[in-house]
Amino acid sequence: MSRPVAQSSRQDLLAAVALGLVFLCAPFPRLQAVFHVMLVLALAPRVGAPLRTALWAAAGGWALEGAARLYPHLGGTPWADMTVALLVAWMAGRWPLEHLKGWLARLAALLLLHTLLVHGAVRLAAGPHPWGTGWAWALLSLPLWGWALWRLLYGDGAAGRRP
Amino acid sequence: MHPRASNWGWNPAGRRRYVLILLWLGHGVWVLMGPHPGQVWTRAAGLLARPAGRMASRWEDWRARRREQGRSYAQIQAENARLRAQVADLEVAAAQAAPRVSEADEAVRLLGLRKQIPLPLEGARVIFSTRPEAFGGLILDEGRDHGLVPDQGVIVPEGVVGRIWSVGPTQSKVLPADAPNASLAVMLARSRATGVLQGLGSGRAAIRYLSNQEVVQVGEAVFTSGLDRVFPRGLLVGYVGEVVKGDLELRVTVQLAAPLDRVRLVLLLPPQPPLEVQEPFVAPEQKPATRKRGTP
Repeated sequence: MSRPVAQSSRQDLLAAVALGLVFLCAPFPRLQAVFHVMLVLALAPRVGAPLRTALWAAAGGWALEGAARLYPHLGGTPWADMTVALLVAWMAGRWPLEHLKGWLARLAALLLLHTLLVHGAVRLAAGPHPWGTGWAWALLSLPLWGWALWRLLYGDGAAGRRP
Repeated sequence: MHPRASNWGWNPAGRRRYVLILLWLGHGVWVLMGPHPGQVWTRAAGLLARPAGRMASRWEDWRARRREQGRSYAQIQAENARLRAQVADLEVAAAQAAPRVSEADEAVRLLGLRKQIPLPLEGARVIFSTRPEAFGGLILDEGRDHGLVPDQGVIVPEGVVGRIWSVGPTQSKVLPADAPNASLAVMLARSRATGVLQGLGSGRAAIRYLSNQEVVQVGEAVFTSGLDRVFPRGLLVGYVGEVVKGDLELRVTVQLAAPLDRVRLVLLLPPQPPLEVQEPFVAPEQKPATRKRGTP
């Protein structure tokens, strides 16, 4: 689980940028959903430590729910984000990625799982609610931001394998 | 991500792991509380407070029972005191009324006796007794003012008491049958042998002039014979207590039936009563009727 300090700081910086974009994109929910998914599925699991992963994911979830202010009882999205981020981090250590296609496929599967888990948790926490179309925009734009993140995170040829 | 034993100890890695678990579980619990966490907290608080509530309820029930028992005990004590006072009052009233009740009973018995004897009997009250003294007697509350004369017979339901010895203006003196100077014509129940009863004192008397040939049994009843013209025939005098054969006559001791020491109300026979009243005081024993042959 140990990573070089520079790489870890870079991951934290990228997560912070994604979190800021989640805040800044509050007027644009569909775009906000895309950045939120990027933070939870791709950036937070790569920060190097489970606790930090959970904290970044929870921060993303609270940022999204706090900006939306749609639910009477918040907390469902952060919990689902933490769960999925920890699962992704565990999967990245257990099944390292070798190709872009696998990365995109895994992201797509995890995005669906994340969507279901978020809405389930929000239903538990706040009751019935509209799903919205953010998940669909994130899924449609997955090739684009998935490829970008692949190049950004694994552009050095490490192919996602943890050192 | 593989957990190692060292990661679960109290070291930086373990602490981070515990914080992570706490963070994840805290969010999960918060999510599971649902849209109305106030109700969840209320239910949880109620659940946690249930044992204390039950204990408090039992404590209050126990105190209520104690209070009720205490109140009941006080009520019972008050009622007990009230009943005790009532019992004391009733005892005093009963003690005050006891002489009257006894006298009333005696009067009732005298009335019964009066109905049995078809003679004009008159009642009188014994107001004083001088029997313990020598030649003592009973003092009645009636005298010449009620037409009493000496030698009138005095009886009670138990038996013969004696005769009037002297009559004053308002009082009379009764010579009891057990006085040494008293004499009474009597007869034995079975042999019908007659004699003269002379007092021996203390409720006893002796029958004089009974022949040695007479058969007298201890316990045999002794009645008046009517020969002295003071008592009619058939009034109970007493029972034979002892029979001793003498040279010429039997020495028969009689226990008088009348309680001379406790007599308070008496009946006075008229002077010179008939020898035998129409309806005997003691009815003779009825023999079973023998049925003649041929009769139904």
